[in-house]
Amino acid sequence: MSTYSVIGKRVRRVDGPDKVSGRAKYTFDLVLPEMLYGKILRSPHPHARILSIDTSKAEKLIGVKAVVTGKDTLGRKNGIWRRFPELCDEEILCRTKVRYIGDPVAAVAAVDEDTAEEALDLIDVEYEPLPAVFDPLEAIKEDAPQIHEGVELNINVTRHIEWGDVDEAFKKCDYVREDQFKCSSQAHMAMETHCAVASFGLDGKLTVWTSTQSSYYVQRLLADMVGLREGDIRVIKPATGGGFGGKFELDSPQFCASVLSMKVCKPVKIVLQREEEFTASKRRTPMYCYSRLGAKKDGTLLAKEIRVITEGGAYTGMGATCLYLTGFFSSFPYRYPSYRYDGYRVYTNTAPTSAMRGFGAPQSTFVSEGQLDMLAADLGIDPVQIRRLNGMVPNHEVPGQATVQSCGLPECLDSIDQHLRQRGKLPPDHGIGIAAYGFMSGGIFNWFDTPYAFSAAIVRVNIDGKVDLFTGACDIGQGSDTTLSMICAEELGVALEDIRIHAADTGICPVDLGAWGSRQTLMTGNAVKMAAADAKRQLLEFAAAKLGANIVYDLDIKDRHVHLVDRPEKGFSYYDIVKQAIRGKDGEAIIGRGHYTPHRKGMVSPAYSFGVQAVEVAVDRETGRYKLLNVTTAHESGTVINPVGIEGQLEGAIMMAGGYGFCEDQPMDDGRILNPSIAEYKLIRSLDMPETKILEIDTYEPEGPFGAKEAGEGLTNPTAAALGNAIHKAVGVRINSLPITPEKVFRALQDQKQ
Amino acid sequence: MMKDFEYLAPKTLGDALALLEQHGDDCKVIAGGQSLLILMRQGLVAPAYLIDIKGVPGLATITFDPKEGLKIGALVTHRAIEKSPEIRQRYGVLSEMERRLASIQTRNWGTIGGNLCHADPAGDPAPVLMALGATVTMASTQGPRTVPLEDFVLDYFETAMQHNELLTEIRVPAPAPRTGTVYSKFTVIESELGTVGVAVSITLSPTDRTCGDVRIVLGGAGPRPLRAKQAEDALRGKRITDDLLKDAAERAAAEAQPISDINASADYRREVLKVQVRRMAAEAVSRAERN
Amino acid sequence: MKHELKFTVNGHPYELHIRPKTLLVQVLRDHLGLTGTKRGCSCSSCAACTVLLNGMAVKSCSVLALQAEGAEVLTVEGLARGPELNPLQQAFLDHGAFQCGFCTPGMLMAATALLRETPKPNKDQIREGIDANICRCTGYNSIIRAVTAVANGEYQEAAK
Ligand SMILES: Cc1cc2nc3c(=O)[nH]c(=O)nc-3n(C[C@H](O)[C@H](O)[C@H](O)COP(=O)(O)OP(=O)(O)OC[C@H]3O[C@@H](n4cnc5c(N)ncnc54)[C@H](O)[C@@H]3O)c2cc1C
Ligand code: FES
Ligand code: FES
Repeated sequence: MSTYSVIGKRVRRVDGPDKVSGRAKYTFDLVLPEMLYGKILRSPHPHARILSIDTSKAEKLIGVKAVVTGKDTLGRKNGIWRRFPELCDEEILCRTKVRYIGDPVAAVAAVDEDTAEEALDLIDVEYEPLPAVFDPLEAIKEDAPQIHEGVELNINVTRHIEWGDVDEAFKKCDYVREDQFKCSSQAHMAMETHCAVASFGLDGKLTVWTSTQSSYYVQRLLADMVGLREGDIRVIKPATGGGFGGKFELDSPQFCASVLSMKVCKPVKIVLQREEEFTASKRRTPMYCYSRLGAKKDGTLLAKEIRVITEGGAYTGMGATCLYLTGFFSSFPYRYPSYRYDGYRVYTNTAPTSAMRGFGAPQSTFVSEGQLDMLAADLGIDPVQIRRLNGMVPNHEVPGQATVQSCGLPECLDSIDQHLRQRGKLPPDHGIGIAAYGFMSGGIFNWFDTPYAFSAAIVRVNIDGKVDLFTGACDIGQGSDTTLSMICAEELGVALEDIRIHAADTGICPVDLGAWGSRQTLMTGNAVKMAAADAKRQLLEFAAAKLGANIVYDLDIKDRHVHLVDRPEKGFSYYDIVKQAIRGKDGEAIIGRGHYTPHRKGMVSPAYSFGVQAVEVAVDRETGRYKLLNVTTAHESGTVINPVGIEGQLEGAIMMAGGYGFCEDQPMDDGRILNPSIAEYKLIRSLDMPETKILEIDTYEPEGPFGAKEAGEGLTNPTAAALGNAIHKAVGVRINSLPITPEKVFRALQDQKQ
Repeated sequence: MMKDFEYLAPKTLGDALALLEQHGDDCKVIAGGQSLLILMRQGLVAPAYLIDIKGVPGLATITFDPKEGLKIGALVTHRAIEKSPEIRQRYGVLSEMERRLASIQTRNWGTIGGNLCHADPAGDPAPVLMALGATVTMASTQGPRTVPLEDFVLDYFETAMQHNELLTEIRVPAPAPRTGTVYSKFTVIESELGTVGVAVSITLSPTDRTCGDVRIVLGGAGPRPLRAKQAEDALRGKRITDDLLKDAAERAAAEAQPISDINASADYRREVLKVQVRRMAAEAVSRAERN
Repeated sequence: MKHELKFTVNGHPYELHIRPKTLLVQVLRDHLGLTGTKRGCSCSSCAACTVLLNGMAVKSCSVLALQAEGAEVLTVEGLARGPELNPLQQAFLDHGAFQCGFCTPGMLMAATALLRETPKPNKDQIREGIDANICRCTGYNSIIRAVTAVANGEYQEAAK
C-alpha cells in the first residue's frame, strides 16, 4: 500500500483556530442589521382541536412586528420521506389540531426576545382537548384515540424483513430463548439548540442561516413549505454546535423564522430555549422488543425472530428509516441462516421520535447482544467464542438486503479477547461485558427522492496553487471539513494548508445530502477524491508532454511535486504546472468535478464498519449504584483518514451511549417530559466519564475513499449493551430495560436474594 | 423571562436592613444569585426591588476561636469554605461537603447564606451544619436574633426568616474531643443534587466506643433536613457495634419521609438511607476514634 | 432605570449603561459583541458561559452584570495574544479537545482557572475542574489530555 502524506496524520482541524479562540460564528451568534427576534407558541395539550386563535392583543403590543399562525402558511405538510406523501404529516404550524405538548401553533417576531416572549402570553388559543394516548401498546388498540385522520390503529409505518425458513429453523434448534426488552428515549442535547436566522428580501429571495446537518434538505423542504422555488432559497450553515441526528429535518425555528421574515421582509432569528429543545425537538425512539433466538448446542445460531413496537410520537420524521434500521441491525453483526423482523411504528401523543446517532441500532444492539450473552451463558459458551462462531466475515451477503465487503470483526474479537485476558481476574463485584456491533457508511435508499447525486464536490485550483474545495457536506462538529480537506490534499498531492473548504452553503456548493447516517467520509469523500483527481488530471495533461510520459497515468503529484510514478526524482514543481496549465487554458482556473451515488450495493449501505467493545463496571451491591470504570473498543473503519477525529468520535460516543445505558432518560407523565432541563436530565460529565482505550484494527474498504468507511454513529451502538452485560458479569443480575438505573440494579439484586 | 426591577446596592448592613424594612414584600435580596436568578428567569420570582448585598462589607469572613467556635459570614462563598485552612483543619466535613456541592463555578459565586435561605430540601450544607449543631444569626432594624439552624429551616424552600431580616452569620461550636462528623450525598452522576444525603456526628466517650452526643441528619428525605431522633436514641449511651449501627440505620430509614420523583422512588430512597446511615455512622465512629 | 457599569474585559475598560436585569453573559455577547462566550441552557447547568471574574471561573449566565462592577473579566477572546494562541489553546488543537466547539470557550476558561490555581493538576483534579462543563461531543478525555499536556510543560515554547 502506498504511503500517504496527509491521510492518517495527526493534523490540527481546519476549523480549530476559530473554535479555540472564540471567533467561530455559530447561527446562535449571528446578528444582522434590523434583525427581529422570534418566539414560538406551543401547545400545552397532548392532543386537542384548535377552535380559534386570537392574535390581536399580541399584534398590538409595542415592539411586535408580526404574528403568524397556521393560517399564514400554505397549509402543506412537511416530511423528509418525500417519496411517500402519506409520511409527510407535520404542518409545523398547526392549523386544526395539536398532537403533542410542544406542537407549534403560532410564532411572533418582535424587536427583542423579551417582547416576543411577552407577546406569546397575549395570544389566545381556544383548544378543545381530545382524548390522548401515550404508550404505543395502548395506541394500537381498537378503541384508542386516532391521532392522524385515516391512520388505522395509529400504525404509522410497518416493516418486515425475512430470509430463510424461520419456523423450520427454530424446530431444528437445540435451544431457544425468548426475551422482552424495553429501550428508552434519549435527547440529542447538542450544545447549540436548534436555531435559524431567516432573511427574505424585496427581491423575493430567502436566505437562511441555520444550525443544520443538511443545508440541502432544509433548502428543498423549505421550498415545498413556503412555496418558493429551490433556487430562490439559499441555506447557509455557519459553525454548528452539534447535531447527533436531531438537525437534518426542517425544524420549527427554520420554518417559523422564514414565514415571519417573508411577512415583514426583515431578518428574523429564532433560537430554541433549552426547555423547548427538550420538549419539542425530536428524540431517540423508545421501543418495546420481543426477541426469540435459537441455536445449536455448540452455539451456532440458526434462527432469530424479533418484533418491535416503537413509540413514534406525533409525527414521522425519520422514523421510517429508524424502524427499518432497527430490524436490519438486529441481525448484526451475525450470519443468521434464517431471520424475521416485524416492526411497527405507532403514533402517540408525545414528542416525535426520529433519527438519533445510531438510528435504531443502539436499541437493537442492546437487545441482541444482551440476549446473545444470555444464550451463551445458558449453553456454557464463552461470550467471545459465540461471537466468533457466528460473526460476520468479509464478503458476507445479508440475504436480500446488503453486501458486506470489508469486515474486521474476527480481528476485533481477537483483540478484545486479548484485552480480557490481560485484565485477568477482577475484584469482587466488578465485571466486564462485551458487545459486538456494526454500522453503515451512509444510506442507499433514496427516500428523499432527490434527483441529484448523493454527494458532489468541486475543486478549483487557483494560480498560486491554492485550492478551493466546494462541497455541500455539513461539518456539525464531527470534523468533515478537515477529513474532506485531507482527502482533497492527498489526492491532489498538496499540503492540507493549501486547501480552503467552502461547505454547506447551497448558494455556492454542489448538493450533498448532509451529515447523517455516517455518510460523509465515504460518500462525500469519494466525491471529493474524484473532483481532486479530475483537477489533477487536467494538471498532469500539461506535465505529460514535458516529462515524456506515454500517458498521464504514468504521472502523479505528491507533496507538491509533479513526477513520473516510476521515477519520482524526475519532475518539477506543482506550482509551475499550475501556472502553465491555467495560462494554457485561456486563464481559467482549473476546475475538477466529482460526485458519488452508491449503486449495486444492496438497499442499505455501500459499506459497513465493525467493532467489539468491552465495558468494565464496579457495582455497590448494597445500593445498586455502579461506576463505569473503563471502556476498551476494538474498532475497524477501513483506512483511518483522520486519527484524531476517530478518537474523538469514539470517546464522544461513549459519553453519549454510556449515558444512554447509565443515566439518560426522558420520563413522561401524560405526554409531558418531566425533566426538560440540563439540571434534571442526567448526562455523563467529566467525573463520570470512564477511561477509554481504542484498539484500531486495520481493514481496507474497496468502496471508500482511500479505503475508508464510517466511524461516527456505529460507535454509539455497543455501549449500553456491553454495560448491561457487564452488570450481569459483576453481580449476576440482568436488566432488560434502559436506562440501567441503580434503583433497577438494586431491585434485581433484592429479587436475586429471594 | 426576567422582569425588570429597581436595583439597590447598599454599602452597609444598616443600609441594607433599612431598605428591607422599607420595601417589605416588594423586594428580594440577592447574594450570589445562583439560585435566585434561575427563579427570576423563569418568572417565578419577580421583585420590584432587588437588594444586592454581595458588596456589603463584614459578612464575608471566616473566623475561629476555640471558645466560640467557628463563625462564617453569610456572604462567604462555598469555595471560600472549601478552601479555608481553618475549616479544613477543624471541620473537615464542611470542606468535603463543599467540594461536592454544585460545581466550582457555582461555588465561586454562590454563598453559604444564600444556600441556607434558599432552603432546598436537597441542599448539602444544612444537614452537615445541623449535625455540627450550628446556629444562625439574623439581623433586622430591630436588632439581631440567633436560632438553632434546626429551627431556621421550616419546609420546602421556607425558612423562619421574616421579610425584614437578613441572615448574617452561621456559628458552629468548637468540636468536642473524640467527635467524628461525616457527610455523604448519594447521587447517580457524580455532581448533582443528592437523591438523599446523610450527615452523622458522633462523640465517643473519652475511654471507649460508647456513644455520647450523636446527631443524624437526613437530607432529601422530607420537606426539610430531618433529625433522625429515634436512630440517635438507639445509639446514645451505648457501645457501638455493627448490629447497633444496623439497628439505628433501620430506624433512621423508618423515620424518613421521602417522596417519589423522577430520580428515585420513596422506597428506594429509604433503602439507600438505610445503607448510608450505617456506613456514615461507622465512618463517624472511626473518625471520632482518631480525633 | 439604567445603571452604570464600569469594568474591564480582556484588559479593556468599559463604561456602559444597562438595565439592572442584564446578565453578565448578555453584556459580553449582546453589548460588547464578544460572542465567543456561549449559552447552552437557562438553568445554570452547562457552564458553556464560563468566564473568569477577578480570576475566578463563574457562569456568566448566573451573574448579574452589575455585580461585575469594578471587576476584571476574562473571556475566551482574551486568551490569545494577537495571532498567537496560548498554550492551552494550542493543546486543544493538538489533542482534538473540541469538535463542534460550542462548549470550547467555557471549557478553556474553566481549564484556565484550574491551571492558575493548580498549575500541576492530576487527572482527578482536571476532571473536577471541568466537571461543570458539559461537552456533548468529545467525551472529555481529549480535553483532559490537552490540559495534562499543558501542565506537563509541553507547551512552554508556545508560552514565550
Ligand atoms: C447548577 C447548580 C447546582 C447546584 N448544586 C447544589 C448542590 O449540589 N448542593 C447544594 O446544597 N446546593 C446546590 N445548588 C444551590 C446553590 O449552591 C445555592 O443555593 C447557592 O449557593 C445560593 O447562594 P447565592 O448566594 O447564590 O444565593 P442567591 O441565589 O442570591 O439567594 C438565594 C435565596 O436566598 C436569599 N438570600 C441570599 N442571601 C441571603 C441573606 N444573607 N439573608 C437573607 N436572604 C438571603 C435570596 O433572597 C434568595 O431567596 C446548586 C445551584 C446550581 C445553580
Ligand atoms: S448557559 Fe448554561 S450554565 Fe450558563
Ligand atoms: S465540542 Fe461540542 S459540545 Fe464540546
